[in-house]
This record gives sequence, C-alpha cells and structure tokens, in this order.
Amino acid sequence: MRSLRPLAVALLAIPLFPLTELPGTSVAAQEEERTTVGGYGEVHYTNLSGAETPGSVNVARFVAYLAHSFNERLSLRSELEVEDAKIEGGEEGGEVSVEQVYLDYMLSPAATIRAGLVLPPVGIVNETHEPTTFNGVDRPGFDHDVIPTTWRDIGVGLVGSLPGGSGLSYRVYLLNGLVASGFSGEEGIREGRQEGSNATFANPSLTGRLEWTRPGLTVGGSFWYGGSAAQDPALGTGTFDNPVAVVSADARYDTGPFMFRGVVANVSISDAGAINQAYGGQVGSRIAGGYVEGAYNLLSALAPQSTQRLLGFVRYERYNTQAGVPDGLVRDDAFARRTTTFGLTYKPVYNVVFKGDYQLRRNRAGVGQDEQLALGVGYQF
Amino acid sequence: MACVLAAALIATAAAQSAPPDKLAKSIERIYGPGTRVDTLHVDTSTVYRLSRGGALLGFAQVRNVKGKDQPITYLVAIDSADALRDVDILVYREPHGGEVAYEPWRKQFRGKKSDAPLQVGKDIKNISGATISSNSVTRGVRQTLADLTAWHAAGKIR
Repeated sequence: MRSLRPLAVALLAIPLFPLTELPGTSVAAQEEERTTVGGYGEVHYTNLSGAETPGSVNVARFVAYLAHSFNERLSLRSELEVEDAKIEGGEEGGEVSVEQVYLDYMLSPAATIRAGLVLPPVGIVNETHEPTTFNGVDRPGFDHDVIPTTWRDIGVGLVGSLPGGSGLSYRVYLLNGLVASGFSGEEGIREGRQEGSNATFANPSLTGRLEWTRPGLTVGGSFWYGGSAAQDPALGTGTFDNPVAVVSADARYDTGPFMFRGVVANVSISDAGAINQAYGGQVGSRIAGGYVEGAYNLLSALAPQSTQRLLGFVRYERYNTQAGVPDGLVRDDAFARRTTTFGLTYKPVYNVVFKGDYQLRRNRAGVGQDEQLALGVGYQF
Repeated sequence: MACVLAAALIATAAAQSAPPDKLAKSIERIYGPGTRVDTLHVDTSTVYRLSRGGALLGFAQVRNVKGKDQPITYLVAIDSADALRDVDILVYREPHGGEVAYEPWRKQFRGKKSDAPLQVGKDIKNISGATISSNSVTRGVRQTLADLTAWHAAGKIR
C-alpha cells in the first residue's frame, strides 16, 4: 500500500468538474439506485488429431456480471467466473475467481476514476474476451502465452474518452506487479500474474492504452511496465527490480461483410538470466509475436436480406516465448510457434454464437505438433 | 431560446431521465433555432411535435435502451415525411463505448426510413470494442423509428 499513497493524494487533488456540465445531474434526471445482472458463457468440444485422443467436452467458462450504480456517477462493476464447471477438494482442475471487481467514479465522460481488480488494457482479447467477440472456439494462443489473458490485477486508474468527438479514448492504471517466480519458458509471464489474491505490492506496475475509434475501425496501442522481483533476496528488493516491459499494438476493422484484426506484442525481461538462476527456469529475455485474422460474412453473399451472420475466418499466429534468450540459455525451438486456425462463426443474433474451427499447431522444432478440431457455443448478455 | 425550450420541456423530460437542457439543445441543433415544441401523448409515451411558423418540421422521441449495464438515453428525430433527421445520445452512463455519441457514427442513421434494415453489420457499421452499445442503440433507433412512422400513418401524431 505504501506505493499507492502518493497516487491517492494526486487523485484527490484533481479538481472536480463543474456539476452543471455533467450528464444527468439536473433535477429531472435524478435516478434511483440500479442493479443489473449480465454474463457470458462458453461450452467447448475439442478433439486432437489422432486415434489415441478421444474428444472432450467442457463448460469452459460460466461468468456472471453484477453491476450496481449507487448514483449517476458512482458504480460497481464485477465479473465472477467459474472455469471448467466445478472445483472439487483435492482434485485438479476448475477455478472459481473474481475476475474483475471495481468502483467507477465518473467525473465526466473524459475521466472516470477506477479502483479495484481491473484488466490491464493490453491487446484486444484481454479486455474484450466474451466468446461472441472473437472467432474460434478457444482464445488465440497468443492471448495465452504472450499476453496472459485474462490478466487482472489490483490498483487504481483513470479511464475516459477525450472530449471533442476525436474518437480517442484512454485507460491508465497503477497496479500491483508480476512475480517472476511464476515465469516460464513455455508460457512467458503468464503464471507471474497475481490475480488479486493476497498479492504483493512490492513492485507496482504502470499500464495504459490509447485507442482511436471510427465506425468500423479501432486502432490501439498499449504498454505495461513494472518490476517482478517481489523482494526475493535472490533477485532484488527495489521497486523496479527485474523489470518487465510490454508494448503492444492492435487494429480491428469491421465493414460488415469483411472483418480484419491484428495484434503484435513485445515483452522484454531484461533480467531473465537472473530469474532463471534463481528459479531454474528457461525464461526468455524477449517474448514476441502476433496474429492476423480475416473473416467474411458468407450470408452477405448467400442471403443478403438476412440479419444473421455466418463468418468464415482464417487466423495466422506466430509467436515465440524465447524470441530472445539470456546468455547461457539454449533456445528451445518448440517455443517458436505457428498456429493456423480456420473455421466458421455463426451468429443468429450478435450476442449468441456457434463456432467450429480446425487448428494446425506447428513449431520450429517440429516436436509435439498437433491438429485440433473444436466446436463451441457461447453467449453474452 | 434554449432557455424557453428548456422550460417547456422540463415537465415532460423527467420520465425519460433526459436533462431538459440537453434535450432542448439537441432539438435546436437538429431542427434549427426558433423551433416550437409541443408535447403529444400516444398511449403512455411522450412525443415532441416540432414546427416553425405553423409548418410541421417533424417529430422526436426520447427513450432508454440498456447498454452493457446502464441505460443509454437517446433521442430519435424524424422529419415530416418520416425520414430520420438525426439520432442524439443524451446521456451515456458507462465509461466505455461512448463513441456511439460521436457524429461519425450517428450520421449513418440520417435519411433512413422505417423500411431500412438498421442493423449493425449491414447498413450501420459496428464500433469494435463497443459492440453492445452499437447494437443496443441501433435496435432502439429501429424500434423508435418504426413506432413514430406507424403513429404518424395512423394519425396518432400529426
């Protein structure tokens, strides 16, 4: 908490916007308190290629949103998630987690103060991860191994849209940092997330995003920077010891019949050598990659009157969790991954989806390569 | 002028939670200064009748539609021939997705009649990252335009 104090003071010093300029503050617009419920969910069928691998089915996620507005400016937003349908004492698998819970205090459309467990605004899928918002049954592998979706940590920040109809919006947060003992060669910084559970604030992090939006087009740039030593004497006790720096850029283009999206990211772990020495891992000093995806609504040609969507899509991912390695570490080429996914996304309405895809998962070493068929249903409301 | 309009609207705006000054400003922006506003009632809903010098300019209505977790208060304004003049977002209460209030997105609706598809992904472009707001407002506008057109044809508003 020590690190939070200066920011809290800074936030209190922000002059409150004139009340008369706020939306909905006039006498006629006084609102009652309001509680809303929403949610999303996805059920998957997956089948790896080969005779020895029977298919499996799983309630991958069941999530409930609970939101409450205390008044026109102050709201709570939350997401409670069950993964893999259940957890049972002493057995592997399953997870129940509070994925987001934060208070929003809206000063104006240009500035909302946010505090709680939030999502670092890096890339596309980390913040917008509902199954109806992306093609393919599983989230892209890139959004697992490079950007550790769903990445959530605790802190405070500001979000808003720049005034004047510029289409620019931003989010910036001060959050708890990652913990290097969780890093790995295969999944990068993924298990270094603290996910809001008795997290250490020894190493704060700063993360933010600037986004430019036009009808049909969204372009964004994100960063995350923070220490990861967690006061382990083997690494260091400084605030920014064992720094991790993430930069990412993304674009989404949606014309109706055609949709494109692409993301790139670079993660630098400059002290990866020290981290591997302390924990015996194979953490790369640089993790990098991205994907491009194109989709076409087949119904725009087959049934132009239809309001439903049947998207055929192809996605190509290329990333390496050891794009750079510290001195003395031999690269594992199995971490240089290339995944091609093609499939169909059927949306009878915009927030219900039926999916099917086939994935070709390759890597530079040519070991452990496989192919997978997946089917899924999802919804959001 | 806006003040006079605001006074005229203050009594009727409360039900829809639209700040009357924003509503008055929106009507003046869309129909021009000196617009006369009369309040009509169709069943339980309120419709504004806009005119100048005795000539009918059109009709407008304020409604709410649910966004991700908060209502979005919007205005639909049509001309005397039932073509959509403009859409305005009077109150947007969530910290994300406010781009639906921006001119480049709203202007896609201008000139539409109730026989237009008014569907995101067809004649209305999506805002990536604000898909719920885009779809909710589009659905709300479609319904409001259909109602206003039907009421006008049936002589319930004139």
